[in-house]
Amino acid sequence: MDFDTKLRLAVYRHFANTTRAPLLAQVAAQLACSLEDVRLAYGRLRANRVLLLEPDGETIRMAPPFSGVPTQHEVEVGRQTYFANCAWDALGIPAALHQDAVVHSSCGQSGAPLSLHVGTAGPEPSQWLFHCQVPAARWWVDLVFT
Amino acid sequence: MLFFRSEDLVKAWCQARGVPLRPLVTIAQLWELAVAWYASRLAPDARRPGPHEMRRIFARVGLHDPFWDPQTDAFC
Repeated sequence: MDFDTKLRLAVYRHFANTTRAPLLAQVAAQLACSLEDVRLAYGRLRANRVLLLEPDGETIRMAPPFSGVPTQHEVEVGRQTYFANCAWDALGIPAALHQDAVVHSSCGQSGAPLSLHVGTAGPEPSQWLFHCQVPAARWWVDLVFT
Repeated sequence: MLFFRSEDLVKAWCQARGVPLRPLVTIAQLWELAVAWYASRLAPDARRPGPHEMRRIFARVGLHDPFWDPQTDAFC
């Protein structure tokens, strides 16, 4: 397994286990490598649209579907609560973890609360809708805005 | 990328911002997209769908609008 794959798995497993983004030093310690090795790999994973980093180049803002910062889209899995980057990623977290979940979010216009149960086979029937304003060709131009 | 309780509320959201209404996606469709994108994300061989695969996934889910084309310049 190449280094970037090991690093990606370390990042994603940290998110899955703790609900939070790992610190640079935590990843370096787990992989027994230098901080600079991790920074350089982060840059490559950003270029490949695997991670989205803060401007410091070492803080993970997004490892889709996981968010490194609190958002309005919370996903409850067992006793853990994850933050998703967007409505799509809110369903992406139970899909990635292969576990039952409850998605807590709200209507983008009215603020009405959404509580959606998602099993491993999919969500309960719902009349709610998903709307994306940014065309697919431009999603990664500004992923935070998207 | 937001949830909305109804189509009318999506339209109100767009009108308030002066932006066009985009294709609406049901929760069932969104789940299919979430699975296609993320079901293998924690596996060693995981990878993001490329442009051709994205088109296939969107078409399979019933989303055929050029809005979903990852390489179109129609919206630039």
